[in-house]
Amino acid sequence: MQEFLTQEKSIYLQISELLENDILRDILLEEERVPSTNELAKLYVINPATAAKGINILVERGVLYKKRGIGMFVTTGAKAAIQKRRKEEFFDNYVKTLLEEAESLGISKEELIGMLQNAK
Amino acid sequence: MEEKLICKDIMKQYGKVKVLEDINLELEKGKIYGLIGRNGAGKTTLLSILSAQNPATAGSVTLNGEPVWENREALSHICFSREINPLRDNGGGKGLKVKDYLRAASIYMPGWDAEMASRLVEKFGLDTRKSVMKLSKGMQSMITIIIALASKADYTFLDEPVAGLDVVVREQFYRILLEEFAESGRTFIVSTHIIEEAADLFEEVIIIDKGKMLLKENAQELVERAVYISGREDVVDAAVTDLHCLHTEKMGRSKGATLLLEKGQSIASSEEITVQPVSLQRLFVSMCGEEN
Repeated sequence: MQEFLTQEKSIYLQISELLENDILRDILLEEERVPSTNELAKLYVINPATAAKGINILVERGVLYKKRGIGMFVTTGAKAAIQKRRKEEFFDNYVKTLLEEAESLGISKEELIGMLQNAK
Repeated sequence: MEEKLICKDIMKQYGKVKVLEDINLELEKGKIYGLIGRNGAGKTTLLSILSAQNPATAGSVTLNGEPVWENREALSHICFSREINPLRDNGGGKGLKVKDYLRAASIYMPGWDAEMASRLVEKFGLDTRKSVMKLSKGMQSMITIIIALASKADYTFLDEPVAGLDVVVREQFYRILLEEFAESGRTFIVSTHIIEEAADLFEEVIIIDKGKMLLKENAQELVERAVYISGREDVVDAAVTDLHCLHTEKMGRSKGATLLLEKGQSIASSEEITVQPVSLQRLFVSMCGEEN
């Protein structure tokens, strides 16, 4: 949760992303309480409504759930679910841009495959 | 009835000069609004009209349906903490000490939280025995912040609260504001020129320019609508036809354009063009900066 926010992306998306990152890195554990909207707002100096929007994305994805009167908690199985979703998005987020850049530089598919095979 | 501060068709004229025109605003309870505009755009005049410190030439301001003008009950819910201006001496009396200034504020504000005021005085390290007018600009800003927060008013307006404050105190102020907001659910309007660092504090942004309101919109949604596109001139021109273009710039064969997309419109980077997000500050400059 100590990452900086950038101007490159909507703040609420960054909030949901960095909570997910913390779950992937075992900084936030399953069935553990996550910081409240107001705690996040104060930490990142953002409006609580924006922080709430970021948290709601994770509730919709089933990564977080609400315990009435106590707060938001990490769902059991959240870590695996995040990994699965990010794998599915991997092609769109990374491979597509890789192919686009390769094409604009005139790098052939064979060359690209060669690079991947030699990469560590 | 819903709790709202509503300003309807506000116009303000000094002599022949209209400094505000066609201002229609609805301010809801429990939101932080950012008020941005260039010097002389009318921000302070608007805030002074909203708090009935200055009469509007035309139009009305109502709180929960009641006009605020000369309405003691309504005004007990509104606090406009003005910038302290040494030249205008709006503190009343040259030698007024900080503690007297705060005491005067406490008399005007029925909800005054003296405990909070002294806590903030200590946090900011202010010497209350000093004369207000002899303080640095930053320290005077601290006083206006203390008055605004300790007023506990449902609708609190802060005019340039961070002017002259160093970056550490500015961060401190933003956190104190968020804390108070979280605990109380009060409504705040904050005017500022330091847009970049305050942008994420606001739930909604109000932009005024030359006395007119350009927009009032959810800050996140507004920023999401704004994009900067660049590439070869003819490609950019073709891509932006039918889109709302705020500002363009050219250099040689290349062109850049700041766009404000409407709902349903989108534009993506390709081999030929680069599309980048635009910060609130850049968007503001594109809207209110010098003409193309």
